[in-house]
Amino acid sequence: MRDAYVIGAGQTPFGTMPDESYRSLFSAALETAVDSVPYGLERDDIDEAVIGSLGVGGRQLGLSGPAATEHAGLHGIPSSRIENACAASGYSVRQAVQAVKSGMADVALAGGVEIMTDMSSDVTKYWLGVSGETEWERLTGTTFAGVYAQMASTYLDQYEATQEHLSMVAVKNHENGAKNPKAHLGFECSLDDAVGAPTVADPLNLYHCCPTSDGAAAVLIASEDVVDEYTDDPIRVAGVGAASERVGLFQRDDYTGIASSKKAGEQAYDEAGITPDDVDFAEIHDCFAIAELLAYEDLGFCERGEAHQLLEDGVTELDGELPVNASGGLKSKGHPIGATGAGQVAEAFKQLSGKAGDRQIDDPQYGLTHNVGGSGGAAVVHVLEREVAQ
Amino acid sequence: MTDVSIAAVGAYAPRLRIDADEIADAWGQFQASGIERKAVPEADEDALTMAVEAAERALAAAGRDGSAVTHLALGTTTPPMAEEDLTARLASMLGAPEDVTTRTVTGSTRASAQALDAALDAGPWGDEVALVIASDCPRGEPDSERGHAAGAGAAAFVLEADGPGTIVDRASHVEPYPGTRFRTTGDDETTGLGVTQYDRDAFTTTLGGATSDLEEPLDVDAAAVQSPDGKLPYRATDALGVSVTEISAAETVSTLGDTGAASVFLSAATAFEEGAERLLMAAYGSGAGANALLIDGAVPVATSLEGDTDLSYAEYLRRRGEITSDEPEGGGAYVSVPSWQRTISQRHRLVAGRCPNCNGLNFPPDGACYDCNEVPDEYETVELSGTGTVEAVTQIEQGGAPPEFVEQQSKSGAFVSAVVAFNGPDGEQTVSAPTQVLIGGDEVVDVGDDVETTIRRIYTQEDVIRYGFKAQLTGAKR
Repeated sequence: MRDAYVIGAGQTPFGTMPDESYRSLFSAALETAVDSVPYGLERDDIDEAVIGSLGVGGRQLGLSGPAATEHAGLHGIPSSRIENACAASGYSVRQAVQAVKSGMADVALAGGVEIMTDMSSDVTKYWLGVSGETEWERLTGTTFAGVYAQMASTYLDQYEATQEHLSMVAVKNHENGAKNPKAHLGFECSLDDAVGAPTVADPLNLYHCCPTSDGAAAVLIASEDVVDEYTDDPIRVAGVGAASERVGLFQRDDYTGIASSKKAGEQAYDEAGITPDDVDFAEIHDCFAIAELLAYEDLGFCERGEAHQLLEDGVTELDGELPVNASGGLKSKGHPIGATGAGQVAEAFKQLSGKAGDRQIDDPQYGLTHNVGGSGGAAVVHVLEREVAQ
Repeated sequence: MTDVSIAAVGAYAPRLRIDADEIADAWGQFQASGIERKAVPEADEDALTMAVEAAERALAAAGRDGSAVTHLALGTTTPPMAEEDLTARLASMLGAPEDVTTRTVTGSTRASAQALDAALDAGPWGDEVALVIASDCPRGEPDSERGHAAGAGAAAFVLEADGPGTIVDRASHVEPYPGTRFRTTGDDETTGLGVTQYDRDAFTTTLGGATSDLEEPLDVDAAAVQSPDGKLPYRATDALGVSVTEISAAETVSTLGDTGAASVFLSAATAFEEGAERLLMAAYGSGAGANALLIDGAVPVATSLEGDTDLSYAEYLRRRGEITSDEPEGGGAYVSVPSWQRTISQRHRLVAGRCPNCNGLNFPPDGACYDCNEVPDEYETVELSGTGTVEAVTQIEQGGAPPEFVEQQSKSGAFVSAVVAFNGPDGEQTVSAPTQVLIGGDEVVDVGDDVETTIRRIYTQEDVIRYGFKAQLTGAKR
């Protein structure tokens, strides 16, 4: 199959945007993506669009994909919405890459959008809980925070990590997010603040949980046959991995790792022909602080039970050996569910293109994005590569 | 006079308690005489869940299980639903066979005595047994005498052919006395006209009428007498032909409150536990009527009547739903009633499945096997013991509950949600399932803690109450 390249990507600011609709927000994201294509791109060049989102107004809405692309001026092309909870647009990127690699499209648009702050807190609670295992897990009164808290309880019981290590994730990601003008919670926080936050679902406190945000992101994928028309510095989609896992935590063999993340990571490394050691930076799905620790291990950055050591040694800080969530991650940059996965790819594109501003990582070659749906029912990993002239 | 006798008795009261002083502090006075403290149902308890608690203890004391029950009767003034047969779910929760004969008696505080009377006429049943359960949690206006008195509890009698508790004699009596204690259709609070002497007359006349019809001499160690408060039963000593000592030997009202249709059953359980070998049961129901029953013999008992968690008055009002809100707008996760019904044996009795391909245990037994990923034609049915170990746990703090659990959290506060590895029947394999873990006092649930299950309300959606198992720390099951 032919290669696929990211030729442009962008996102709206993540945050609270009462003046925007899901359609206008998506349109704005597409504009930033189009503007980022070095030689420009006509919208007519786009052959297909895949849009990730969980819902509209806290509810299911049919045809929200075509409704969003129509609003953005993309008429007549195949457009569909993909739903995989918080991994929706990670999967839309994967779908667009498939379309390009298979030859069905030369340029495909992968995007995601979510408006989460325009509804009552009651509806938000309803909505955020419907992506889990509904009949059993949900009916014990758990929320997403609750399920990740359960994983944290087992992990903290089994390994040396402490609640303070969870708080260190928040401190690191806020420090990075403060350098990202598009971050929802773009401020720094002290370890004392993070440790002392009120409990949400023990052992997780408020600073161990990401916010709910409005936002949209768009990624333009082109085939090797046309990539030269758009850029001289293409970012290759070197590896794609995706996997599913039993949706309910209780149905799994292990609560201290996410099997779908591990499998998706291995596939992506394999296709890219690299090992975790080759990764220069990663955008990781830190919906809850424990998720970042689990991901360090699932993605092979360290052995099982040693994630806290990476935090203690500063390995994953912006100036560390393997910066994680330079964008601020879900914790600080924000988490508009359907837009998160595409937003991660947009960040990786920026970093690999050397356009990440104050949070630019020094000369990276490989960037990894890791997007998880629910508590691990779906995961998708991309390895992006800045091709270095031979 | 009957070939049926009592095999064993079980009794249960909620672990929550409120002192009369708390209520007196709130209102300036406590109107229910002779009550020092009383039992309060947790937000997820009702007459049905308490009935199961009492029944399980009675069956255990009798050395039997639900499969032996061929006649199942429930007496209560507070059925959780005004219309719908609760005994079908009760039978399912207890594991009684589907051809069990069932009765629900309600309408007055002597409902369970009527149910017992009818069961004595229905037996004997060969090797099988009858289970007659009294369970009640009356309510009254918060500022009324009945509201102050209202307690909660349940007790169950296992009946069999040759049990240790012989029914020596029994009688009933009715006389029309309207207005002493009543609840209008659609209301959930019991009231009365409060015509003091008239109320006393109704009580003593009917009880006296029933006991005077007994032909055998009383000569009892204890008298279990209907106790709407801690004073009225003692006004009936002359009418009943018993002494204050005999009534107080069986009394529960001072610590459990007015337990309505469960009052006399709870007193009987207490008397047997204290070693009584000859007992008068004297039940009164407004309207009015009375049942008297004379029992001879030492009856095995299993009770859990002590409280261990004291409530403030505000916490009490929250538990009673007086100051809390219902499920919020926006709705909860929707699980249709038919899909809930398909899992009811899992919810009620932890029925798991063994995979015919790999022997792996599955809960719920539905879809592909967790162990081998094959989709079997049918899982072999396996009932889990209900004991297990916490594998993962969190406490959902106030404000963090999903909508369908907002009402529970509003009433009871933070709750614990866990994944528990339940022990399989062979004692080796376990299978995991999510469940709430009940907490009382300052209990904390950690990974590695041992738990056992009980039945509680899970939630109510579309006005249909969904019951299912919840866990509690081993040892907390008093």
